[in-house]
This record gives sequence, C-alpha cells and structure tokens, in this order.
Amino acid sequence: MGNNGDENRKREMNLWEKLYFPEILHGMGITLRAFFRPKFTRQYPEERWVPPPVFRGRPVLVVEDETGVERCVACGLCARVCPSLAIQVQAAETELDKERYPELFEINMLRCIFCGFCEEVCPEEAIIMSKDYELNFSDPKDAIYGKDRLLTPASHLSDRLAFLKQYR
Amino acid sequence: MIALIALIKVIVLVLVILGTVAYLVLLERKVSAYMQDRIGPNRVGPKGLFQPFADILKLVLKEMIVPENANGFIHALAPVISITVALAALAVIPFGNYIVVGGQKISLMIAHVNIGVLYILAMSSLGVYGITLSGWASNNKYSLLGGLRSSAQMISYELSLGLSIIGVLMIDRTLQLDKIVQSQGAWLWNIVFQPIGFLVFVTAAFAETNRLPFDLPEAEPELVGGYHTEYSGMRWGLFFLSEYTNMIVSSALIVTLYFGGWSLPYVNYAAMMPNLAALLQVVTFLAKTGIVIFVFMWVRWTLPRFRYDQLMNVGWKIMLPLAILNLLGTGAVMLALK
Amino acid sequence: MAKVTIEGKTVEVENGTTVIRAAAQAGVEIPHFCWHPGLSVAGNCRMCLVEIEKMPKLAIACATQVADGMVVHVNSEKAVEARKAVLEFILINHPLDCPICDEAGECNLQDYTYSHGPGHSALEEAKNKKPKRVPLGPNVVYDAERCIMCSRCIRFMDEIAKEPTLTFVERGDRVYIDTFPGKELNNPYSMNVIDICPVGALTNRDYRFKARVWETSSTEGICTGCSRGCNTNIWVRNNEILRLTPRLNSEVNNYWICDNGRLNSFGHVNSEKRLNTPLVRKDGALQEVGWDEALSSAADALKPFSKDEVAVIGSPYSSVEDNYILQKFAKQVLGTTNIDFLQHSVDGDEDTFLIRADKTPNAYGAREVGVSSSKGTDVKKIFELIGSGKIKALYVMDDDIVTSKETEELLAKLDVLIVNHWVESKTTQLADIVFPSATFAEKYGTYVNFLGRVQLSRPAVSTLEQERVPGRFNMSRLDNFGSAFDKWNKGQRRNVRSSWEIISAVANLLGGKIRFQSAQKVFDEVAQTNPSFKGLSYAKIGAKGAPLSKGPVGKKSKEETLV
Repeated sequence: MGNNGDENRKREMNLWEKLYFPEILHGMGITLRAFFRPKFTRQYPEERWVPPPVFRGRPVLVVEDETGVERCVACGLCARVCPSLAIQVQAAETELDKERYPELFEINMLRCIFCGFCEEVCPEEAIIMSKDYELNFSDPKDAIYGKDRLLTPASHLSDRLAFLKQYR
Repeated sequence: MIALIALIKVIVLVLVILGTVAYLVLLERKVSAYMQDRIGPNRVGPKGLFQPFADILKLVLKEMIVPENANGFIHALAPVISITVALAALAVIPFGNYIVVGGQKISLMIAHVNIGVLYILAMSSLGVYGITLSGWASNNKYSLLGGLRSSAQMISYELSLGLSIIGVLMIDRTLQLDKIVQSQGAWLWNIVFQPIGFLVFVTAAFAETNRLPFDLPEAEPELVGGYHTEYSGMRWGLFFLSEYTNMIVSSALIVTLYFGGWSLPYVNYAAMMPNLAALLQVVTFLAKTGIVIFVFMWVRWTLPRFRYDQLMNVGWKIMLPLAILNLLGTGAVMLALK
Repeated sequence: MAKVTIEGKTVEVENGTTVIRAAAQAGVEIPHFCWHPGLSVAGNCRMCLVEIEKMPKLAIACATQVADGMVVHVNSEKAVEARKAVLEFILINHPLDCPICDEAGECNLQDYTYSHGPGHSALEEAKNKKPKRVPLGPNVVYDAERCIMCSRCIRFMDEIAKEPTLTFVERGDRVYIDTFPGKELNNPYSMNVIDICPVGALTNRDYRFKARVWETSSTEGICTGCSRGCNTNIWVRNNEILRLTPRLNSEVNNYWICDNGRLNSFGHVNSEKRLNTPLVRKDGALQEVGWDEALSSAADALKPFSKDEVAVIGSPYSSVEDNYILQKFAKQVLGTTNIDFLQHSVDGDEDTFLIRADKTPNAYGAREVGVSSSKGTDVKKIFELIGSGKIKALYVMDDDIVTSKETEELLAKLDVLIVNHWVESKTTQLADIVFPSATFAEKYGTYVNFLGRVQLSRPAVSTLEQERVPGRFNMSRLDNFGSAFDKWNKGQRRNVRSSWEIISAVANLLGGKIRFQSAQKVFDEVAQTNPSFKGLSYAKIGAKGAPLSKGPVGKKSKEETLV
C-alpha cells in the first residue's frame, strides 16, 4: 500500500524516516533553499522568446519568393494524416504547369495540436511549421486560418527550410 | 464607555485583519513562487504590491452563481458563518498587555474573559458548520463530500488539539490567554516544557485550518474544490477570507501558548513607559505571528496532501495517543517536582 | 478440367482458363496492368509474370493457359524479382506527381509500387516530356506522361464500345495515345476508359480535382438514369454526391455504365432547385410550413372528395416501396381506382448495349405493385376526366407530369393538387401542397429493372430525418471522426422524407392504418402479398439484386470476384 501497487518502488523506511517529522524538516529545507535560488522567469510581453528552428509553431504554407506561387498542390495528404482533423483542403485546376492548387486551405487552429505530421508527410515541402506561437482568438471562427493567413514567403521561413534540408 | 472602547477595538481589529488577509494572499503567492523558482505576481503596481486590490476588485465584480436546486438561503449563509466565527475567535487574542489612554488602562484584547482558551476552541469548532453547510447547500456531490470530510477531520483533530493545550494549562494554571503569556516570562516559554504538546498542537492546528497537508475538504484533484466548488464571486471570497483569518488566529494562538506571546528575552517591559512597552509588545507579537504564518505557508508549499485514510490514522492512532501521553507525562513530572 | 496448384492451393478449373483467372479462383492475386477481365488479353505490360514449374522462363499469367498438373509460383523470389524489374521499367518515365494526380488512392501502379517497388530511382536522367492535359473528348482528359501504355482504353473502345477511336502514336519511349485524326472520344460509353485506366492517365473532366478518393465514402447504389438499373458506387463527401462509378454485376451491366447515367443521374440530388421544406398554398402563393401543418392540410384537402373525384399518379422514378404504399393509399383509404403512372420513354435513344429507351428505373416495379392502368383508369383517361371536371383532386408522387401547355392548363382546373417531389418543377408550381421527398440516394428502396431484376439502393446522403450513422450509411474517415462543428460536416442535410412515409402519414390522418417502421418492413409486406416478389427480402437482394420470381432469369455469374 502506498506505492501505487508497484512492488519495485517499495522500500523499507528506517526509524528516522518513520518518525516523519525529521523528514518534514528535511523537505522544508529543500524548499527553503529553492526560495533563495536565482529565478529565470522571462518577462513575457517585453522579453520575447525567439524559438530555434527545431521549434514547431503554427503550420504555414510556403510561397515561392520568385514566382509568388504557393508550393502546395492540394494533394490532401496533410488533411489525411492530421490526427485531429484540423486541415481542410479543396483542390482546383490552374493554368500553371503544376496543374493543381488549393482553392481552399483551412487549418482550424483550435484543433491543431502542432504535431508536425503535416510537415512530415508533405511531398512538396509546402506546409511547414513556423516559429509563430502567439495565437489568440476571441471567436472560434477566427481560429480557422484560411490561405490569407497561412501563405508565407519562403524567405521568412529560411531557418526552418534549412533545418528540414539538414535533418530530413 | 466600555462598550464604546470595545467597539473601537473591534472595528480597528477587523479592518486591520481584513487588510492583512489581502496581503497574506499576496505573500502566499510570492512565497509559493519563490519556492518554485518563479517570481510571482509583479504586474499590478510596483513589484505587484497592488495585486490584492486587483484580486478583490475581480471578486467583487464576479457573478455570484447559485446552482440550480441549491438551498439558496443556506448557500448564502454558510460563508457568513465561516467568516463570522473566524473573526470572533480573534476577540480573546492578546496582542499586547495594555495601553494607557487618559490615565485609563485599556487592555489590548477585545474581550477580557477568563475562559479564553475554551472560547477559542468553541469558536473553531463552530467554523465547521460553515463548511459542512456550504457543502450540503450546494447540491453537488463533490461539495457534500468536502463538507463531510471537513466535519470528520475537525472532530478527529479537535480532540488532540484540546488535549495538547491541557498540558499548557496545567503548567500555567489559567484559561486566560494574557495570563498564560505573563506566566511564561521572558524566555522560559511553554515550548521548552511542552515540545511534544507543541508538535501535536501545531499538527492539529494545520488540520483545523484546512491547510495543506490537511486540505482534504478542498482537495482539488479529487473533489474539484470540495465545499466551495459551487461558490463564486465574493461568497467564495468570504471562504477565502475566513481561511486566512483562521490561519492568523492559529498562528496567534501558537505564539500565545508556546512562544510567550508578546514577551521577548532580556526585555523588561515593566521598566518602560507603558505605551512604549505596549507598542513594542504589539510589534513583537505580530512579528512572532508573522513568522509562524510564514511557516504555515512554507509547509503548504513543501508537503503533499495526505490521503484520507492516512489523515484519520494520524489523527486517531498517533496524535491522540501522543496528546494523552504528553498529558500523563506532564502530570507525572509536576507531581515529582512538587 | 485441369488441376492447377497456385501458391500451394490446388483448384480445378476448366481447360483453356488462363493462369490469372485460375489464380483468382484460388484466391491469389497476381499483379497486372494491361489485363482486364472484361477485355481481350494484350499481354504487353509484363506485370503478371509468374514462375511455372517445368517452364524454362517466367510466363505471363494473363495469356498462359492452364494445363493439368501445372504448379504456379506467384511470389517466388524469381517471380517477384522479375516483377520488380518490370515495375522499375514502367516507372522510368512515370512522373512522380501522385500529389497532383487524381488517381492517387485508387491507382494500381501506386499499389504495386508500394508492394514491389524499389522506393527510389536508379536513373539520373530527366523524365520524358509528353503532352499533358489533352482533352480526348468532352468528358475525358489524357496525360501522356502518366500513361503506361497498357492499351486497356484502346481495347475497350474496340471491343466494348465498338467504335475504334483510340490508338498508339509514335514508338519507343515517345509513344502515347491519341484519337484517330478527325475523331473525338465522344462515345456514350467513353468514360469507362477512366475507370479501367490503371493509372491516372485518363481522368474525369467532371470530377477532376474535386476530391481525393479517401475523403469520400462509397455506397452501393443503382443508376436511375434508365430502366437498365446499372449497379453503381455512389461517392459522397460532405453529404454531397461527387461521382458515380460502375459496380460489377454480370447480370446487369458487367463493369460498365453509360456516360449519361454516370454524369446526369444524380444531378437532382445536389440540385439547387431542391425542395427543402413542405409548402402549402396560402393567399395564392406557396408558403413554407412545417411537416405537421402540411400533412394535416393535405388530409383536410382530400377529405371532401368522393372516390371518383380523386386520382393518384405514381412514379416510375420511385422505389417499389413508395409505389406500393401509394396504391395502398389509393385503394384502401381513398377507395379509388384512378391510379397510373406516366411513361418516360424516349424512342430511339437506346442501343443494344446498356442504354434503354425507358428513362425511368422502376416502371416494371410500379406496374408490378399495382400502380397501373390495367385495373383502373389510365393517365390519358385521368387527364380527360380532369378536363371534364369529374376529377377534382390529384395526388402526384415524385414526378413532373407537366409535359405540355395543355396538361398545364388541365392541372390548373383541379381543386386540389398535392405533389411529392424532390425538386421544384412545373407540377410543384401548380400544386396546392408540396411535400419534399427523398431521392434514391437518400433512402432505402428497391427498383425493378426492365429484366425484372429487383435491386436495392442504399442511402448515401443523409437527411434531417436520417442521421449519418454507422450501419445505416457507409462512412468516410471525416464522417466517422469529424464533429458537428467542422466545416466538412456542414454539407446540407435536407428536410425531406421518403414518399412512402409522407403518403402513409396522410393516409393515417384520413383514417387509414398504414403503419411501417422502415422501407424494409414495407418490402417484407410486398414480398408476402405479391406473388411476383415471393421469397424476396433485402437480405436476399443484397448488393447484386435478385430476379422477380416470374421474371426472366439471367445467366449464372462467373467472375464476380475479379476486378
């Protein structure tokens, strides 16, 4: 009893420990030491954290710098792999060489769990995880990000793109 | 005239206590933050000093929700009982000896009653009504469980509390709190003679104030807040207030009973001017109380919560026998020394 | 008969059977591209190479005939290695554009690449450039880069559609498929080449890029475009029918379906003119009302008329169940024999393959359950009686009976016209009370094709009345795991009911006792009371249908397991 049924964690206590009060004092010593330790709190709105490239912020769609065309071909693999069904894609035809493009691309950021599966499955490296972690909405409808908010020039995402090139 | 003086004392005390409670909340948040390598509230006012006002403003502005099918009257009454009883217990706490105003000695306690200890015990047992009734009136199983736990816990620990005090009473031969202080002298405090009684009393005091590690009536993980699950706004604020008032009362009582109240070693109050002595006494008393309150918080942010069966085991199988043994031991020693 | 052992399984097959068919009978799948069970053998893709004992080289399973005692190894190391090599050759010039390709998800090449493929290319050279997005006809687009030259489409046009239109052009790795000069792929069966194309070279212009197959659910349905009743799969996403594809049924349509049925037989389900709530005429205009009000006003409107003053027109578009309840309503509740349905035959628009002149799916069934002129007044007579003022109230089920200016004027003479229909039509515009009814894709219903084969259609589109629930519906992943708050579940669920439900409700308000819990219960009664339907049930009809007990019996099916 008292070890959550895990026999491996069971340990006989000696008399000193059984007395309980000395151990309480021991514990209080630990908290008191913590009391005087230096603090590392970041003063958030003033001091902002710039995530490293490995960070998975909100997913965005990459737009080529030269052509201004999104990489996405609306294959729907991200929508298929998304474990929380956050992504909705509707394809359509274009006159461009890449005949298919997303007419509608929506990510419900209330559903997104930032797992990065969409980025991993994407055959075009078109959807990647950005560094943006500051998301807030006052209406559930605002949380559904359309292409207007998802499309991001590749030059803004160079960190992550380089990271993906190196490690994937 | 006596009534007027008493009234002034009551008003001053209540105002001071309420203000203190507000800042105790801030203190608690700061203490917990520092023990967890954080900074704590620092946004409202310089260093977060106005945080209590923001908290109070928020509580006042929040809606007081009464659950459907709850007993509205008792639901409203319960927090009032809690806070009233908690404040009433302060009446017999001696903050100092006396001051002299216009040649008249005015005692620095509100009610100069000769059964002070009994009065405090009576008041603290009444406090359980507030909690139990709130649990019942909320029409919520978690609240009810919290309320029931609270009554069981109070009954279990009041016994050891009372028994541990008897040791002190046997030594000092009085029930009056200021007399107990005076009889302890400058530094031969009761804790020297009653170390076991002190431990039992402190443990029971923790249980009586429903603070960690004995906060089973609230127990967020299992009871989602226990008796105050269904309370919001200032009604919830009153419960909060009474919890901290109870903590002040308990700390003051510990100081009075075991740490010589306002007395200080090597300080002879009788040799000073009466009002200066009174000021020094009050400051001493408050400082000692403050230290004990800090210990209360320190313990809260150190120890995890007991399981319910452990709580009952400790109460009946350890604390009660210890208190009785302490009683017998004290009696035996006193007989032997006679 | 020959005894063959394929992958350790011994089967006895007829002499002359090819190895690939024998393997299918043994339950062994042999990868193939160019071979199709409905077409002749070409043997040009080499994907079905298998190892046959005592043969010096590997043989293609599609063109090798079995011999007694033959032992075939499909997955032996040698055979698998050979198929891997074949696949690598095919992939040399196949573009890696699965993300763009519509076939992805139902592509044989994709599947076999998963099971056999190397996963990488050994070549550094660029892939061939060939014509892309070539419109071969009004409904089919061709992508030469994706084409693996299996010639299935060419053989289909030659052998099944009997209109040779397609051919190979150029040679070697520049080869591609094109129409003969001056020809266009506009055969009424042209779109079947899309289904049989093993890759995404031939795509459906109507369905192009609309959805990925894995987002849709597919439900076994019946084409309602003509009285053939071709078996179909109904592909639905977001409660909207996106396409129909033919479903194998050797008794009815084999692997094929006509373009008209494929493209146009579900238009009314998604139509913008779809009725979405009951309408009742108040102050000269049709106004939206609730079901209870509409049903009781229908009952009140019919009450004053005697049995000779009312007439009922059934529908060859509606199911057996709907027509059965309608005739029950006419005979038992209204007591009239003025009951018939309108023929919708387009003379000349038929052929010897699938397309029928009768453009309705259930004329046979409607007649069979008693909605017919044989025992009462036929449509022509009903119209005459309306003209002479003898018939004052008319109930029309699921049909637009206004075919000319004259009928329009005739219907205006009626005191009461009640119509069930799925879309707004000239008839509903003249009606006093309109009930929105469920289409074939929204209800359980049986249809009897011109051969007397009873076929069951299952609901593929949910309505307000019928939640999309497992068991009743085939579900896609989005249906299964999406919530009501997701946009893809916001597809319109219409406020419609099956005609048999509407009519039994009206009948019961008029004192009738027509109480059924489901279409299945209605059909059970039909099977009990009507000798033609004797012994039939939904379970017995199943996905492939069953013949009426007196209907002509088709030949026994053989290759139901092949794709």
